[in-house]
Amino acid sequence: MNWSLEAADQAKAPQRGNDDLDKLVRQNVMMVTLEDMIAWGRKNSLWPFNFGLSCCYVEMATAITSRHDVARFGSEVIRGTPRQADMIIIAGTVFRKMAPVVKQLYDQLLEPKWVISMGSCANSGGMYDIYSVVQGVDKFLPVDVYVSGCPPRPEALLQGLMLLQESIGKQRRPLSWVINEQGIIQREENDVQRVIRGPERIAATELRSPDEV
Amino acid sequence: MPTSTNTAFTKQNRQSAAHVAVDYLQSVLGDRLLCKQQTVDSIPTLWFSRESIIQALTILRNESFAGARFEMLLDLTAIDERARINRQEQPESDFTVVYHLMSFSGNADLRLKVPLHDSDLRTPTTCDLWPNANWYEREVWDMFGIRFDGHPNLYRLVLPPTWKGHALRKEHPARATEMEPFALNDEQTDVEQEALKFKPEEWGMKRASDDSEFMFLNLGPNHPSVHGAFRIAVQLDGEILVDAVPDIGYHHRGAEKMGERQSWHTFIPYTDRIDYLGGVMNNLPYVMAVEKMAGIEVPERVKVIRVMLSEMFRICSHLLFYGTFAQDVGQLSPIFYMFVERERIFNIIESICGARMHPGWFRIGGVAQDLPKGWDTRIRELLEFMPPRLDEYDSMVMNNGILKRRTQGVGAYTTQEAFDWGVTGAGLRATGLEWDMRKQRPYSGYENFEFDVPIAANGDCYDRCAVRVEEMRQSLRIIKQCVDNMPSGDYKSSHPLTTPPRKENTMQDIETLINHFLNVSWGPVIPPNEVSMSIEATKGINSYYLISDGSTTSYRTRIRTPSFAHLQMIPAISRGFMVSDLIAIIASIDFVMADVDR
Repeated sequence: MNWSLEAADQAKAPQRGNDDLDKLVRQNVMMVTLEDMIAWGRKNSLWPFNFGLSCCYVEMATAITSRHDVARFGSEVIRGTPRQADMIIIAGTVFRKMAPVVKQLYDQLLEPKWVISMGSCANSGGMYDIYSVVQGVDKFLPVDVYVSGCPPRPEALLQGLMLLQESIGKQRRPLSWVINEQGIIQREENDVQRVIRGPERIAATELRSPDEV
Repeated sequence: MPTSTNTAFTKQNRQSAAHVAVDYLQSVLGDRLLCKQQTVDSIPTLWFSRESIIQALTILRNESFAGARFEMLLDLTAIDERARINRQEQPESDFTVVYHLMSFSGNADLRLKVPLHDSDLRTPTTCDLWPNANWYEREVWDMFGIRFDGHPNLYRLVLPPTWKGHALRKEHPARATEMEPFALNDEQTDVEQEALKFKPEEWGMKRASDDSEFMFLNLGPNHPSVHGAFRIAVQLDGEILVDAVPDIGYHHRGAEKMGERQSWHTFIPYTDRIDYLGGVMNNLPYVMAVEKMAGIEVPERVKVIRVMLSEMFRICSHLLFYGTFAQDVGQLSPIFYMFVERERIFNIIESICGARMHPGWFRIGGVAQDLPKGWDTRIRELLEFMPPRLDEYDSMVMNNGILKRRTQGVGAYTTQEAFDWGVTGAGLRATGLEWDMRKQRPYSGYENFEFDVPIAANGDCYDRCAVRVEEMRQSLRIIKQCVDNMPSGDYKSSHPLTTPPRKENTMQDIETLINHFLNVSWGPVIPPNEVSMSIEATKGINSYYLISDGSTTSYRTRIRTPSFAHLQMIPAISRGFMVSDLIAIIASIDFVMADVDR
């Protein structure tokens, strides 16, 4: 898609005989395949399910409120029921007693659905290698994005959300029921951020001292 | 907000009520008293056999000692003694049940213990004396497999109903990776879900009355208004709440078992995550308890730094409560304003500790680092910025007519009921009792600060909120005094058990180097003893009961949390109200599930 915006007070009325008409068309008409547009829409209106388990949920809530404002990414419509949501953020520790409940809630999300695993506990059990904790939500759910941290900062969650959006934008799905092959073009496997950003991080030579604010 | 002058109990007075009680028990039940145990926290500890424990507890509950009563069963727990080495002069026991009683009128504590043997793990219930014993006994049954005869419904409380074994027994595996790998197929999901199903008959509930059929409503364990993984099953007659059964354990992270595995030092980050809104304030009772056993005196600067950061977290926690409370009764906007302050405070915390929610920044014998240069600038800005905002919230939330009508007169209880259910903190002060650990039993130098203890009169949802709002102002006062009078000096004690040890002491000779190496790699060895340390946490009395067996880890870590007691009270204060009132009541309690299930 190729489109642009200009400030309302600077927009001129189109004149005959120059390329303004071209511009007008570009501003108002979008030439796009339906598949692409649906992928674009999906990417920018991810509705999360209102689901939280522990500490991470507080940072998830912080991402929703004023300072970080997840609405900038079209993801502020928190749904109270899984049936209306596109995405579940596993924010917190997954407990053995809670696991069947999480499973049921995930099953109730309608396709297409995505999972963000937020925080060390949901990623791998984290510091809780203990009898009552499942060692990572991926033991029973397919995870799309892992956000590291204990708890991750709200910015980290937003980055995770953007990574998910990027990959959803690349996915293509059939527009109606198809028999046999579903024809879903999945995203390609991504490298973890550690690999992508590693060289840049290692290249850092000056680290801020903790002695100063 | 009425604040009366503080009727300070002296330490002498505090001991006297306990000593009078001990003397009286000795004169009445002298022949049945098994042992008087000495502990470093100087709480009198008496051993009774299970045949006479009820008699002893009844006396303590009903009689008056030097004008004081033991109103509250603060804690009830157990110890698996089978692997313990240092048990000098204690009666033989495989499992010990521990009762921790607290007197508010006499400002005193008393600990009673009952020895039990492996072959016959049962003791009579105390539910008739203190209603809050119900959950504590269920928890002990769940974790240790000790039966309480006469208990109305001795089911598992914390672990899933399908669990095998008792987790806090020494033979139970601690690590998930020691156990069979977790898998969840559809069949197993069904089994687990079936086990979690609420069956009214098990709770003595009828499905219908003479003229109507009851409806059972399941709220949670994932519901927007229950603040975490908490479930409550409600019995309704039309819209009126007949009864309720709270169900917990969806947030059990095994913190107490973890305490037996981590070294004294490496357990500190786990305490942060107990009341996960309280941040470093959770470190405080733990490190103070260890310091007491180790005999460490911390420098003044450490005390003030600890107080300052703890009070900042108190404000943070109260702000979150304030916002969600308003949200739960229908005001969506306040929380968006309140998170602005939270972010400001987190900025300060981050600039000092390097992390936002769980800095884990206190150390045994000090704090992790000294305050950075220019640490006070942002705090002074906050002290300027926040008071007018709090006034604005008063007009936005506290004076709002709808909020008042939804919360005033809802979920009220008296001081006596609060004692019966083990309610502490703002929930207790809202009933009109001026009791704050920071005033009554000052720790970490709170005796040097000027602040008032806000109280209210009606003990309803509105008052609980009002008390917390005022507490934020008092916390700001304390923080101001910290900033203005921050003592100079060390951020770490010079005691040899301070962890991590002081670097400058290590480079002297091979001996000091070895000591340093051991203290850092294995952690400090704390001398065998028992200690209990309580603080006024964000939600009430948070208490750590630690037992050292003279090793690098704790033998038993008991964490008494306020929210656990508070949740148990919900049915008692919400009967006769409507479902929407129940939401207001739940919101007004201010709990965190990690603080309930640990």
